[in-house]
Amino acid sequence: MTIKRTLVANRGEIAVRVIRAAHALGIEAVQVVSEADKDSEAARLADKVVVLGPAPSKQSYLNAKLIVHAAKQTGCDALHPGYGFLSERAELANLCAENGITFVGPAAETIGALGDKLRSRAIAEAAGVPLVPGTNSIASVTQAHKAAEELGYPVLMKASAGGGGRGMFIARNADAITAGFDAASTEAEEAFGDGTLYMERYVENARHVEVQAVGDGKGRVVHFGERDCSVQRRYQKVIEEAPCALMPAKLRAELHEAAIKLLSSMKYLNAGTVEFLYDVDRQAIYFIEVNTRIQVEHPVSEQVTGFDLVQTQFRIAGGEPALPRQDQVRVSRHAIECRINAEDAYKNFMPSPGRIQTWQPPRGAGIRVDSHCRDGYLVPPYYDSMVAKLIVTADDRPACVERLRRALADFHIEGLTTNLPLLRYIVAQDDFMQNRFHTKWLEQSVLPAFQQDSV
Amino acid sequence: MPNPTPADIENLIELFNRSDWDEMHLKTDTLEIFLSNDPQARRPGQQVAAPVALAAAPAAVAASPAASPVAAAAAPAAKGAHEVVVPAGMVAVRAPNLGTFYRSPKPGAPAYVEVGQTITADTEVCLIEVMKLFTPVKAGVAGTVREICVADGTMVEYEQVLVIVEPAA
Repeated sequence: MTIKRTLVANRGEIAVRVIRAAHALGIEAVQVVSEADKDSEAARLADKVVVLGPAPSKQSYLNAKLIVHAAKQTGCDALHPGYGFLSERAELANLCAENGITFVGPAAETIGALGDKLRSRAIAEAAGVPLVPGTNSIASVTQAHKAAEELGYPVLMKASAGGGGRGMFIARNADAITAGFDAASTEAEEAFGDGTLYMERYVENARHVEVQAVGDGKGRVVHFGERDCSVQRRYQKVIEEAPCALMPAKLRAELHEAAIKLLSSMKYLNAGTVEFLYDVDRQAIYFIEVNTRIQVEHPVSEQVTGFDLVQTQFRIAGGEPALPRQDQVRVSRHAIECRINAEDAYKNFMPSPGRIQTWQPPRGAGIRVDSHCRDGYLVPPYYDSMVAKLIVTADDRPACVERLRRALADFHIEGLTTNLPLLRYIVAQDDFMQNRFHTKWLEQSVLPAFQQDSV
Repeated sequence: MPNPTPADIENLIELFNRSDWDEMHLKTDTLEIFLSNDPQARRPGQQVAAPVALAAAPAAVAASPAASPVAAAAAPAAKGAHEVVVPAGMVAVRAPNLGTFYRSPKPGAPAYVEVGQTITADTEVCLIEVMKLFTPVKAGVAGTVREICVADGTMVEYEQVLVIVEPAA
């Protein structure tokens, strides 16, 4: 291993995860913390701790210059950004490069290009990766009817000049287009000074699927299977699993190939995830975006492939030939992750930080808990509310759901309000057990019933 | 007794550290040393001068971060600690954020302040550098500089004690 000492530029469970991966490879870990995290689990595990600044992220974890300064001054030769905070800011990767520190992630230019929505769509299109089918501007109802026939109903009419739902409507047939077209155009004209409309295919029954991949920076990219993250609330993932059990093998192969085509076209370096919308009714996939970091839900891919992705990140960054051959990556078994957050699902998900009185995670075969919490730990109010990830693995999805159900029942946290009651409720739903849900299922079907039942 | 050399003083501190004494007070014509295991302890007589650093020595932890960052890691207490004890009645000027501490505006220039100097709250006492951005740190308190706690050019952490000032009465 060419890397001797890494700076860990994050906090919480991912900092702990990164330190453990570094230590497993013989790399020393320097943990930067805010004032509020001086006694955190990551600070206890690290070889050295450096206090950056006060608790607010802007003066600590979001200050790239402070962090790179600390890396230099403590003799680090690498920096792992974790997820969130500065992980997808080209600025941090650039500062590392300028100061001779190996950034454990993609090149700064890659982060910049893929972080821009329009540029990343252009890159995907150039690589032959499917986008949500749509049109250019549409001038009349007649033209709209013709376009909708080609795309297939339902369709979504949108204003060219802006967003926020102004000038937007869903049409399930030709009559709906006739009825809505003029009003939408007028609304767009009034809101944006431009009444031009265009059309996209509307995906009613959508799954969020994503491909985990790692590239060597020279054009070789290997995937580690896909994840299904369709249980979401306000676009925040709540439960993630691997593989996407619903997807037929042929489409799955296309999905993996699309991700690899996109990333290898830009000689992608290190770990990344290509996100897609899976249109279940039409059996099609559409590109959403690329995440140029390790993700919260990476453990489910580790569980089903047997590869340690964070260690792989360090080995790739250190210039080792760490990529397996694609045929060496075999997906077996099923894994599901639940995000356990300090928030009150009965009170509109209000964050509920505080002092943990009792911390009793479940244990046993097929149960993994990634967390930075312990008895007596104070969950500070300044950051993300996630306190643990419960990852359960079993031979197949039904066995995995059953194991998850029992593990959630065995998870005892006192002193904090958490979303455990909601998670237990979700996994007990017949639709969840039968794998019948989409990205709006939690919000539209589960939450109203959950809140009703609790009254 | 002739004037003691620095080595003599080191030997005295070593002797004190190995002993089970709580305090040691030594006075010659030209020098006075007071050692104590109690961070709150005050020298008899109360005319606080140079002894500040020595009084705190056995209790203080002064790791050198730049020289051997991870070597200091063996003892968990030393991992990130720069716990300079501020004697009662004294005020600490602390680092507003992590950075590199400089005593003077540029290399070779006179230091912003020296021990014994009288300062106002607006007096700049040092520079903190982050990635070539140099920010002066003001004392924030009027009085007399009693100790500069950090060596020039070393990294300091947030809230680390930089300078100790005895406030004006």
